[in-house]
Amino acid sequence: MVKSTSKDAQDLFRSLHSAYSATPTNLKIIDMYVVFAVFTALIQVAYMALVGSFPFNSFLSGVLSCVGTAVLAVCLRIQVNKENKEFKDLAPELAFADFVLCNLVLHLVIINFLG
Amino acid sequence: MMNLSRSVALISLFLLPLLSFSFSVDNPTDRRVLVLLDDLSLKSSHSIFFSTLKSRGFDLDFKLADDSKLALQRYGQYLYDGLIIFAPSTERFGGALDSKSIADFVDSGRDLILSADTSASDLIRGIALECGVDFDEDSSAMVIDHSSFSLSDGDHTLIAADDLVKSDVILGKTKIEAPVLFRGVAHSLNPTNNLVLKVLSASPSAYSANPSSKLSSPPQLTGSAISLVSVMQARNNARVVISGSLQLFSDRLFRSGVQKAGSPNKYEKSGNEQFATELSKWVFHERGHLKAGSLVHHRVGETDEPAIYRIKDDLEFSVEILEWSGRSWEPYVADDLQVQFYMMSPYVLKTLSTDKKGMFHTSFKVPDVYGVFQFKVEYEKLGYTTLSLSKQIPVRPYRHNEYERFIPTAYPYYGACFTTMAGFFVFSFVYLYHK
Repeated sequence: MVKSTSKDAQDLFRSLHSAYSATPTNLKIIDMYVVFAVFTALIQVAYMALVGSFPFNSFLSGVLSCVGTAVLAVCLRIQVNKENKEFKDLAPELAFADFVLCNLVLHLVIINFLG
Repeated sequence: MMNLSRSVALISLFLLPLLSFSFSVDNPTDRRVLVLLDDLSLKSSHSIFFSTLKSRGFDLDFKLADDSKLALQRYGQYLYDGLIIFAPSTERFGGALDSKSIADFVDSGRDLILSADTSASDLIRGIALECGVDFDEDSSAMVIDHSSFSLSDGDHTLIAADDLVKSDVILGKTKIEAPVLFRGVAHSLNPTNNLVLKVLSASPSAYSANPSSKLSSPPQLTGSAISLVSVMQARNNARVVISGSLQLFSDRLFRSGVQKAGSPNKYEKSGNEQFATELSKWVFHERGHLKAGSLVHHRVGETDEPAIYRIKDDLEFSVEILEWSGRSWEPYVADDLQVQFYMMSPYVLKTLSTDKKGMFHTSFKVPDVYGVFQFKVEYEKLGYTTLSLSKQIPVRPYRHNEYERFIPTAYPYYGACFTTMAGFFVFSFVYLYHK
């Protein structure tokens, strides 16, 4: 039983991997960016757990910048993905322009709140 | 003319309250003392004691205890600043005096010397009870000591006591070498009462019993629990001396020599005169009366007192304390005065250092807690007046622009923000221009 479940897990992983390799490159680039942002957020949370939350506004600002930009990147991915029927008529350039603008606003707020 | 006399009357009306204060810090001289005697021969049999008082500037007013014109107050003003009651057998005072008026007298801050003797009336016991001193209930009992008596006496009731309290304030700097002669009744103090103090205690072999009858049961008061002379300093700093022996103050015991049984030392003169004189100096505030000037505090480097401090400020604190020397206010010198920076509990407790001219100062850092604090000086030293000074001051936290511009603990967050921005920039390039 254990052997079959581990074989199932391996099969699952392999199928996921092959399916993922089929995604277009631009989506993979967005995914990498999201992973980078979330990773940075996790590092900050670990640091706060170690040191304490003294300048809490700085902590929030740092975490929020990572999480916010990750969320915006996910939104971009949703809008740009050709398999997504909902945004079929949305031009990818418009999506990207929205992404850039939102990020600008986000970083402005972050720098203000950083203290 | 009418205007002048009226203004003089008005001015004297304002001055009148100042004339009859007790030991007031403004008017510590001119002490009028009422001496109540139950027998006018006490004036001559205790003449040395009274003449030492007169030579120190006291105005003694001798009256019989049942004099019908006795009064401590007239029209609400006290006529005397001190009271000596050498009337152990008086059952009732004459005039307007009773134990309640004497209790009010002490309550107003005035001093009292009370002495019982081989017989103490209920009135005297009642007054002593008000001050926290319990005379022996047996009215025929005296203090008997079979190992600490004076060799000049036959029946062991003339005690030669040398168990004095160790206090330079109460008994003076010079040690009283000779034992103090005592013949009278015993009293005890409630051990939970922290206002009374035994100045002269009996030796462990003393007991209180009727010397002329056989003991049927063990005596109630024995040993060092027996106090021969006690003092009480009330919370308003009025001082009371209660003695179990009137003979202690008499000329005969002042002049007599003493040799304690079992001790080879023979003294030409007993310690009574020195003891009584020093004690009277203490009770009438000629020693150990402290006065505090204002509490001064300011930040290091400034001279004005700020209205509010910030946490982690450096501040300096100083207070001036003077001691009345009998004639003038002298600087008080001590090394155990402490100041607390107090909010529900002392956050800072520092011992003040003195410049020997009466100024006590220290400096410390305001703690890292904000709130409303008090500078508190609570000084209760044996024999000295209690000092209870406090001054309130608020402490605020940092204003938002008083922090460092860039907080070192937050550097990773700063780094993360800028890294994210750089990442976004790089990402947008790669996304737009990848092949």
